[in-house]
Amino acid sequence: MTGVLVCFAAMAALGIATPYWWWIMAVPFAFGAAAARTKGVALRTGLISAFLAWGVAAAYFYGTGSRIIAGRMAAMFRLERPWLMVAVTAAVAAVAGGAAGYAGFAFRALFKREK
Amino acid sequence: MKWVRALASRAIAAAIFWGLDVRHGTFPPAGRLLDPFTGFWRNDTRGDTPPGKLDLPGLAADVRVVWDSRRIPHIFAGNDADLARAQGFITARDRFWQMDFVSRYAAGRLSEILGPSMLESDRFFRRFGLTVAAERCWALMSAEAKTREIMEAYAAGVNAYVRTLGRSDYPVEYKILDCEPEPWTPVRSLLLLKLMSYDMTGFNTDAWMTAARTALGEAVLDELFPFDPPLVDPVIPPGTRWDFVRGAPRPASTAEGEGGGGHIPEVRVPAIAARGASAGDDVDRRAIGSNNWAVSGLRTRSGLPILANDPHLGLVLPSVWYEVQLAAPGLNVRGVSLPGAPLVVIGFNERIAWGFTNSFDDVLDWYAVKFRDASRSEYERPGGWATTEFRTEEFRVRGAKPVIERVAWTKDGPVVRDAGAPAFSQSDVPAGAALRWSGHDPSNELMTVYRLARGRNYDDYVAALASWTCPGQNIAYADAEGTIAIWHQGRFPLREKGQGRYLLDEAVPSDAWRERIPARENPYVRNPERGFISSANQNPTDGTYPYYLGWDFESFERGARINEILARATSVTPEDMVRMQTDTLNLRARAALPPLLESMRGRDFSDVEKRAIGELVTWNFENRAGLMAPSIFSEFWSEFNARTWNDEARNGLASMNWPKSEVTIELILKHPESSYFDDRKTAPREGLGDIAFAAFRAAVKKMTDRAGQPGEKWTWGRWRSTRIGHVAHIPGFGRENLVCDGGVGIVNAIETDTGPSWRLVVALGPAVAAWGILPGGPSGNPGSKYYDSGVDEWAAGKAVPLVFLRSADESNPSIASRTTLRSAR
Repeated sequence: MTGVLVCFAAMAALGIATPYWWWIMAVPFAFGAAAARTKGVALRTGLISAFLAWGVAAAYFYGTGSRIIAGRMAAMFRLERPWLMVAVTAAVAAVAGGAAGYAGFAFRALFKREK
Repeated sequence: MKWVRALASRAIAAAIFWGLDVRHGTFPPAGRLLDPFTGFWRNDTRGDTPPGKLDLPGLAADVRVVWDSRRIPHIFAGNDADLARAQGFITARDRFWQMDFVSRYAAGRLSEILGPSMLESDRFFRRFGLTVAAERCWALMSAEAKTREIMEAYAAGVNAYVRTLGRSDYPVEYKILDCEPEPWTPVRSLLLLKLMSYDMTGFNTDAWMTAARTALGEAVLDELFPFDPPLVDPVIPPGTRWDFVRGAPRPASTAEGEGGGGHIPEVRVPAIAARGASAGDDVDRRAIGSNNWAVSGLRTRSGLPILANDPHLGLVLPSVWYEVQLAAPGLNVRGVSLPGAPLVVIGFNERIAWGFTNSFDDVLDWYAVKFRDASRSEYERPGGWATTEFRTEEFRVRGAKPVIERVAWTKDGPVVRDAGAPAFSQSDVPAGAALRWSGHDPSNELMTVYRLARGRNYDDYVAALASWTCPGQNIAYADAEGTIAIWHQGRFPLREKGQGRYLLDEAVPSDAWRERIPARENPYVRNPERGFISSANQNPTDGTYPYYLGWDFESFERGARINEILARATSVTPEDMVRMQTDTLNLRARAALPPLLESMRGRDFSDVEKRAIGELVTWNFENRAGLMAPSIFSEFWSEFNARTWNDEARNGLASMNWPKSEVTIELILKHPESSYFDDRKTAPREGLGDIAFAAFRAAVKKMTDRAGQPGEKWTWGRWRSTRIGHVAHIPGFGRENLVCDGGVGIVNAIETDTGPSWRLVVALGPAVAAWGILPGGPSGNPGSKYYDSGVDEWAAGKAVPLVFLRSADESNPSIASRTTLRSAR
């Protein structure tokens, strides 16, 4: 849970402060490589924190002025409901974050001495 | 094993990263696009409420912007340069992506951001020479202090906005298409104007006419494509006296460049003429044109003139036009600007109002070029060989290797399509021919709109028109002193009748453009006795006008209907004029349908055909969205033309262009026995009734196949629904399935994807008042509620009062907010 919160906070802060989208992958990768105890934790932490970081932000913007553009983007992607763009945004982040977390853990495993 | 796992997981993560970071074909880079902090989510409604203060470097003094309740900016500046800078800045805030995209389109550079799919379009515009045209104009305009000042200040204002953009602020289209904004320049403004010129003058059928002359003979073409068509009520009222006598044209030795010799002999057309014609022009579906008129005080309730204008263009979002009011000392103008270009194009000030319709004059010719050898370094001119100039065009293509082409230029213009090269889909370009186009001539149309903006009376209006060259326009005028007028304005080549109707020859002296028609001898009328002026792209004059302007003008219907209404109008109000802009009477149907129905009398109709006949018989000829008759007639007329004309293609002519509706109607009314109604491909001789019956049967079958039995789907508004697509064709960013009255040849000219791009009615007087509507809104942001805020009212045929302020401090209930643009020193 702490990992999720830390990753969530880091992604949100870096997303706001910089113009780069890939913090949702870099942060879970770093967490997986540096702090995750198991591959499952690495994957789940990346997945949930990225899902929350983009999902909460998208939901916030959806409710505060982005409903029209979400509707147009939904139409572009042939989705019937504007709010589905919130779900798509969160889902894409979850997949990217989860994969990055797992990859980070596997990367660290390379340097672990096998018992 | 752990190596495998590590590599596999990193490969998957890398693939996901790559998948989300890069555009794949037309699929956007999803990671960047979906990012809530910098992606599409930030293209929200924040911009709908302008801030109270904004920095704009370079201003001499603060500029005040008043926003009305429709979020139209009213800009008040202390001098012309500040005004232009502020206009560039404010326009860019709303429309920069549109400006950037369309100017790249005109420059032939879209394949740089969209890839190989746009290469043909780019090649066409680059080879057509729009960039050269814009550069030539800038060379002229930059030598004139006022236009240089305005153009440079406008560009500076645009760039001031571009410099404020962070990635999250980018218009959403940049995020979808994965490209970057480019700095603005005066030449980019002029590219937009040249694109508009191309849209209005770039059409031609010279190659087809030449092939048709060989196949059918000139007499047939003169009959089917007459210089003085029937039923047309010209722009300048018949009988108007010309206050000049045409001087004798100079001999051909004074042609542009060099030359000498005879006078319009038989046109020589080499092999390029053998190329087939354009595939049967379906003129029935073209709704690019415009209406304007002005009614004098003799016919208005106020005793002062009223002017109306609705230019018909392709319907797109963001809107073609940007509404704005501009005020500086000596200038207070309101109307619409072209996003990306300074000042107001169509509009009014406190004293005068003006509006445009395209003149449809022939200002584009093709010249066969004979090169001396395969190097193409020299080509034949009268009296010898001239050196070819080559311009190298490099096309950078996203995701592909660059393409480099050398375009040959003669003294007339570019060889747009090399001999043996495939045809362009944009236009019927003859292979191996050089283009001569008025749009390539240096000109300063900006000076016209600058002077109009400052105009106070008729003399100012006439003086303003002097610099208007291309595209030729019918420029309607009305003022608070009670004057109305219309000038058919442009810089038109002085030619013999029919010159340029067929392909010309670079080596024939008499084919060359010589002088221009003196501007003061352009057709015009001021305060005509009938109490109104009007134009709807039809023939400008009757046969008494002593110069030749062209032959391919618009069909008679809109012009005739406008004049019909105005001729009996009394005590006219602005509301009457707004209603008139949405008049739906179909003159084509009123003229042609009764004799067509009569010709089919006694035929054996099926039940569904009888029902369709019933709809037509009871029709009041109005193209209303809820009626079935307009749909049935539209299809009937299309089938009737196809059956009457397509079989005329013979003797090697690949396809047949249809004559204009007035020619066909004249045949129906006066020559029902005409052999044109015989289907040449069948043995028995058919007559009008046979062709009409076959066409009607085919039309009903087409409708039944597509929409079932007569009902809701047959109604005009559903059968030809209207769409306003996004300018880059991004799905979901336009408006679909609009149910509208109107149609081709109707005053309310709404068609499938063309129609009135702006409606304006101005009542002149001590306190000028105006009404208008755009099929869109002020904002170019698809996430804004002002992106398409006018569409529903436009579709319903409404117009809204236009706020016109005398000063920035004026109190007005329609004012929503104010912004001060501060010079950031």
